[in-house]
Amino acid sequence: MNIIEMLKDGNDQKHVVDAYELALKVQPSINAVVTFIDPCKQLEEVKEGKLKGIPVALKDNVNTKGIKTTASSKILENYIPVYDATIVKKLKDAGAVIIAKTSMDELAMGGTNLSAATGPVYNPYDVTRISGGSSGGSAAVVASGVVPLAIGSDTGDSIRKPASFCGVVGVKPTYGRISRYGIIPYASSLDHVGYFTRNVKDAALALEVLAGYDPMDATSSQREVPEYSKLINSDITGKKVIVFKNVLNHMNNEETLALFQRVIDGLKTKGAIVKEVTFNEELMKAILPTYHVIANCEATANHSNLDGIRFGNKQEGSDTFEIMCNTRSQGLSSSIRKRFVIGSYALFEENQEKYLKQAQRVRRMIVEEISSYLKDADVLIAPASNAAAPKIADVLAKHVEEDLVAENHMVFANFSGYPSMTLPMGYIHQHLPVGVNITANAFKEVDMFSIGSVIEEITGLKDAYKEVK
Amino acid sequence: MDNKDALYFKKLAKQLMFELNDQEANEMVQEFEEFNHLLTHLASIDTTGVKEMIYPFEEPVTYLREDELIHVITQQEALSNVSNSQQGHFVVPKVVK
Repeated sequence: MNIIEMLKDGNDQKHVVDAYELALKVQPSINAVVTFIDPCKQLEEVKEGKLKGIPVALKDNVNTKGIKTTASSKILENYIPVYDATIVKKLKDAGAVIIAKTSMDELAMGGTNLSAATGPVYNPYDVTRISGGSSGGSAAVVASGVVPLAIGSDTGDSIRKPASFCGVVGVKPTYGRISRYGIIPYASSLDHVGYFTRNVKDAALALEVLAGYDPMDATSSQREVPEYSKLINSDITGKKVIVFKNVLNHMNNEETLALFQRVIDGLKTKGAIVKEVTFNEELMKAILPTYHVIANCEATANHSNLDGIRFGNKQEGSDTFEIMCNTRSQGLSSSIRKRFVIGSYALFEENQEKYLKQAQRVRRMIVEEISSYLKDADVLIAPASNAAAPKIADVLAKHVEEDLVAENHMVFANFSGYPSMTLPMGYIHQHLPVGVNITANAFKEVDMFSIGSVIEEITGLKDAYKEVK
Repeated sequence: MDNKDALYFKKLAKQLMFELNDQEANEMVQEFEEFNHLLTHLASIDTTGVKEMIYPFEEPVTYLREDELIHVITQQEALSNVSNSQQGHFVVPKVVK
């Protein structure tokens, strides 16, 4: 059942208990949950609201008062927050019931969900494949039908790529639209809170609950929150759609390209004006290096507080330095420590101009290049990925080659802060989902949802999910 | 970006308050080269006259608010994740011996 159906049905107790039991049942197959939250007490206190009685899951970087929040890192394996993130309060005030904290790449720094302290998340469509990351656990619990809504976070494409791999809707709204207070950060200028659902209408409704000004988040927008679910308009006659041609030029999967063409043809049939645009190729190839520099620099600074003194999995030592050093050496995985080294190098005073500031300037150039076209259109559209979710064994053996543009283009929306959403486009290799990505102008989520709802009609994949045996 | 050896990365790691073992430091050399390769392209882009983009939206934000308490935690809560505390303080090994 989706959110709207559950609300109509009104059997809160059954929906929540069923979701909790299903989460437990599929856990051995998909390993998507870090902490299960018994919903019984919450069910006694469910509030009236737009999500009354809806079971939800939270990525494990969302602080939950009294409930372990690990960010899937060993260094936080015993961390129990003393406050709720703003979105937790908003969800509870809207009547939602939280049943699980989901697995993620360690500290959200990854795109495979293989780095989680609790082990990989397995893709519900094929458990030998990755879920994608870093919000892989949330994507998997929605894709397997456990919950109709799960929270994620997106710094590079950490909601929208797993949404593609797991065949669900993944939304990253405009920067500042959803409060980040109480979310364990990765890279502050790129971090967004978002979520997964199984259809666009549910996604619009969820944003009505999650969005809004929060004085506890200095980057929070003070703009009014529209009633997105009522504003979705499936009449797209005259709507301007830009096709991200560079991405198509870098793709070689014929099945993916054919599915995308079906979407484009469908949009044209429904009256949209579709135009292909090729952006400056050199700038598009710079998306990934720009991201790496900025994200690693910001992460290094953000995570300097993980020292084991005030919280975290403290290790012993003869002095404070040794305690911190042992805690960080044993608590942070090898790949995270190496990323911090790179970030720190680029942050050195003598390197900042050459690396960090150069990346920040190129970031502006990339944003201005795409925005110069998007400002005169409604949405930008492209396949979310060239291929389906890769096999875990291939990723571990480093046999997966990622195209610089085809597999990283969605980072543009993190650079610009524009709303961006992935939804199912179809299946390749007969059973593996791939998604289509839509990006709109800042605070124009309604345009994104409207085009998304029409794509849902074209693909017929509304409410798609995979039953896990 | 200059080439660096394993020892360089070990020292840098120490400044960041963690260790890299021999294997990790050697991997770091390789990964740094790959990173370096990516950055070559970044460095080749002419950014003359372009201002750095620090945040997506650089529109003015009001950080000031009324001086009212909106979120308070107790001392007990503040210390609840500390492995060793006494009399309201974090306990760490003596600095002056």
